[in-house]
Amino acid sequence: MTGETASINYAWAINQALAEEMRRDERVWMMGQDIGRMGGVFGVTRGLYDEFGPARVRDTAINETFIVGGAAGAAMCGTVPVVELQFADFLYVAADEIFHKLAKWRYMHGGKLTLPVVVRLPTGVLGGAGAEHSQSLEAVGMHTPGLKVVLPSNPADAKGLLKTAIRDPNPVLFFEHKGLYRVKGEVPTDDEHLVPFGQAAIARAGEHLTVVATGLMVSRALEAASRLAADGIELEVIDPRTLVPLDMDTIIASVERTSRALVVHEAVRTAGAGAEIAARIQEAAFFALDAPVWRLGALDTPLPQDPELEQLCIPSVADIEAAARELLRI
Amino acid sequence: MSEATEQQAMRPTADPDLATALYETVALIRATELRLQEHIAEHGFAGFWHPGIGQEGLQAGAVAALRRDDRLFYAHRGLGYALAKGMELGALLGDLFGRVTGSTGGKGGGTVHFVAPELGVMGQGGTLGSNFVLGAGSAIATQLLGGDEVTAVFFGDGAAARGTFHEAALQASVWKLPLVWVCENNGWALSAPITQQSPTANIADRAAAYGVPGVIVDGQDALAVHRVVAEAVARARAGEGPTLIEAKTLRIRGHYEGDRQQYRTDGADGVAIPRDPVGLLREHVAAEVADDLDSRAHARVEEAFAATMAAPRPEPSIVFDGVWA
Repeated sequence: MTGETASINYAWAINQALAEEMRRDERVWMMGQDIGRMGGVFGVTRGLYDEFGPARVRDTAINETFIVGGAAGAAMCGTVPVVELQFADFLYVAADEIFHKLAKWRYMHGGKLTLPVVVRLPTGVLGGAGAEHSQSLEAVGMHTPGLKVVLPSNPADAKGLLKTAIRDPNPVLFFEHKGLYRVKGEVPTDDEHLVPFGQAAIARAGEHLTVVATGLMVSRALEAASRLAADGIELEVIDPRTLVPLDMDTIIASVERTSRALVVHEAVRTAGAGAEIAARIQEAAFFALDAPVWRLGALDTPLPQDPELEQLCIPSVADIEAAARELLRI
Repeated sequence: MSEATEQQAMRPTADPDLATALYETVALIRATELRLQEHIAEHGFAGFWHPGIGQEGLQAGAVAALRRDDRLFYAHRGLGYALAKGMELGALLGDLFGRVTGSTGGKGGGTVHFVAPELGVMGQGGTLGSNFVLGAGSAIATQLLGGDEVTAVFFGDGAAARGTFHEAALQASVWKLPLVWVCENNGWALSAPITQQSPTANIADRAAAYGVPGVIVDGQDALAVHRVVAEAVARARAGEGPTLIEAKTLRIRGHYEGDRQQYRTDGADGVAIPRDPVGLLREHVAAEVADDLDSRAHARVEEAFAATMAAPRPEPSIVFDGVWA
């Protein structure tokens, strides 16, 4: 509780959260492809195999149903698994285990089973990984009751939210943005740095337009806000941080002040989290609105593999800036 | 040449205490199966009942080889597994008929959700084959927490086709997880005969691919099943890894009660039980003892049935219970 911070990157913040929680609780263990000796394809789990050994940091074969289903079974029997799917897209490979076993087994069995599993999901567009390695699939988690859905946008939240996820008795889908792994930020060094679920962050305060952004789009929205500030336009940027549970109170309070809202995410626009958030804004704050609620998201196409083409498919800083200017003219 | 080893029944040297104990369980399962058949014929059933009649011997024999703290991931065919593991008949019927007395508090309605973690009864999924990976996870927990419990996973010849078996078997074998897989090969995956689903006659032959023993046993012979499962459990408990056991049996009724089985080409009439496991076991039990166990089983079933029908349905608010821990 010293209030001290250190400047570390998002990947290292996740690594620290894993190490601290495994030291704190012997029931916590990890499983995934290449997470042990190699330290993960993105280097996130480096050093953990050496510290905790092969029983608690398990390299698996290419077997996603085993990784998630094994975690579900081990969680029901008294352990706390933190498993990694190498790319978030692979949650479709383990769909039965995620959307059925993790999400429903407690419910189906009369509340007698507990599934404290964290599924770490490297997500989003990064340098031409292709249509099956680049998606933002958080909305499918929101669409399945029983799963918590977390998307940290900066190193401090990545660490604090992951620690909270590991201590949560429910299954958590933890979407880590691959494009943020090397981004640095000030992170509390305190072992008890926990970021609560269901508490949005106001990343920037402003009076003219509420922008609700998630993951990588938070930094893009902040960049757009800086550009617009030069013209006297003040965006209020809200990062929900967790989509399940979703802190609508903070969003509604903001919209009641600004009277306008734009939701921005990297996921496909159609039926994305933005559709849900926009619907809830109009349900709760219709008479506060001076304009329709708009959404920015990825195009309704698979993501092309080419690194330049894929960037055309997801919202850019310029897209957010342009949408904000246009929305303010309504 | 088959890698699987065929086990012979060992009737002449059967342990009389074990035979009697198994008979008590088998008689209770059979009496329940018949009572459910009768009930559904008269009143219908709000859900799906997948009868296990004819497979009681292997279910009781295999589960009797487990310790109370060993864990069970059962299959969908009947309630014999959970009953044999020590669950109360009233709790199981409560689940089937959606009563508050059920192990799920009235969220049941069908075979698949019996649960009693304190007895190692860990549930069953609606997607066949999901128990392979869950069961492997249970066995990882044993390794991590330093215990010596064994996890048994039951499945049919149909579910043996799932990719989850391959993923679980490969990793479980590499990590020598304390697991026993019990395949109830009853010859039918709903409407599909085994010959349409397996290029080899024996599921147990697949064990060789995973470097684990594959054992074929007569699934009608409860004592023989008990013996091979006990060996596999001892092997798993000693840290030597999983065993794949294939119990050859026969599906008597339809996939679900009410299935008329018009696709069946093997002459099954839904009533006759060739090499009835109850009759085979009875040969090892004194007639008066077996008669007594039969009548006690009937009395227990009638009592539990009456209590279940008199028990209340859950409050509608139960739909919100257990979404979150």
